Amino acid sequence: MSALNDTDIYSQNYNTTSGNLGSYKQFSSPYLNFDPSYLPQAQPEFIFLEGASKQRGRFELAFGQIGGSCMIGASVGGASGFYNGLKATTLAGQTGKLRRTQLLNHVMKQGSATANTFGSIAVIYSAFGVFLSWARGADDDLNTIIAATATGCLYKSTAGLRKCGLGGAVGLGASVLYALWNSRDKFTQLRPLNPAQR
Amino acid sequence: MEEYTREPCPWRIVDDCGGAFTMGLIGGGVFQSIKGFRNAPSGFNRRFVGSLAAIKQRSPIIAGNFAVWGGMFSTIDCALIHIRKKEDPWNSIISGAATGGILAARNGLPAMAGSAFIGGVLLALIEGVGILFTRLSAEQFQPQMPPMEDPSQLRGQQNGGYSFQ
Repeated sequence: MSALNDTDIYSQNYNTTSGNLGSYKQFSSPYLNFDPSYLPQAQPEFIFLEGASKQRGRFELAFGQIGGSCMIGASVGGASGFYNGLKATTLAGQTGKLRRTQLLNHVMKQGSATANTFGSIAVIYSAFGVFLSWARGADDDLNTIIAATATGCLYKSTAGLRKCGLGGAVGLGASVLYALWNSRDKFTQLRPLNPAQR
Repeated sequence: MEEYTREPCPWRIVDDCGGAFTMGLIGGGVFQSIKGFRNAPSGFNRRFVGSLAAIKQRSPIIAGNFAVWGGMFSTIDCALIHIRKKEDPWNSIISGAATGGILAARNGLPAMAGSAFIGGVLLALIEGVGILFTRLSAEQFQPQMPPMEDPSQLRGQQNGGYSFQ
């Protein structure tokens, strides 16, 4: 681009038309009737709806998170159900068709149970998160921590006060770890732990 | 119109699965709370306890069934989009029927056929209602013809107007 902006033989003919533009750079090419330096070249440009936030909020991400945790729960539970089924059928000495059906039963039962648990937790967490970001008007790590703690409390709330507190503590610990991991860039900027990295 | 508000295809499966799970959990929660309230022994406190127990026990299972339906449906829908290279109501109807059939696979062939039929009819109804609403709402966006100008007035401007030289 810098070669085009220099005065070369092409631009000499067009200097006369752009002379009255004052502080603008003189135009360089016969095919460009504007200054190419006005075009942003490095950063991408996005078009946003009027009044919409520039990032996807919690509600837009909620269904994906719920479905993802459901699927992860299904695969984890299915795998562990397969393992348990293999052990149980070997112990019981079942073979052939019987063993196949028993294995399928184990996989389906444990997979769906784990998927339901994970999905329910994700739904509760997303509901808390959406509510908090709507109530506070901000979407940050504090929302994550509060929502995760409340989710743990609520999920274990029918099992007694002690279990409830334990669930809340698990939620708090997991969300604090996530928040620290999420903002690890800030920490390394703030206090370089390892000077050899710089 | 609706296709642009959804996720692109492989991620749509996760999204639909989550939406179906949420729908099942909330709907199952409402349904099971009423059922547990009615089936509990008398006394207001006991009824609430029964309602809560029913929600805790049954609504995640209903939600899981919904999620399996949604995920399977979306998977087949995406596969059909990939194979047929187009998105139309037939995709949804076919994948609804296939989902119903596949999820009843362990109940025998007649159950599969009935389930597939029900799934196809259900999705055909949903798609039909969607098309109907699109037709109805498209009425107000009909383009209107701009008023024609009288071409005889253009004759006088031929020399006085723009000159491209």
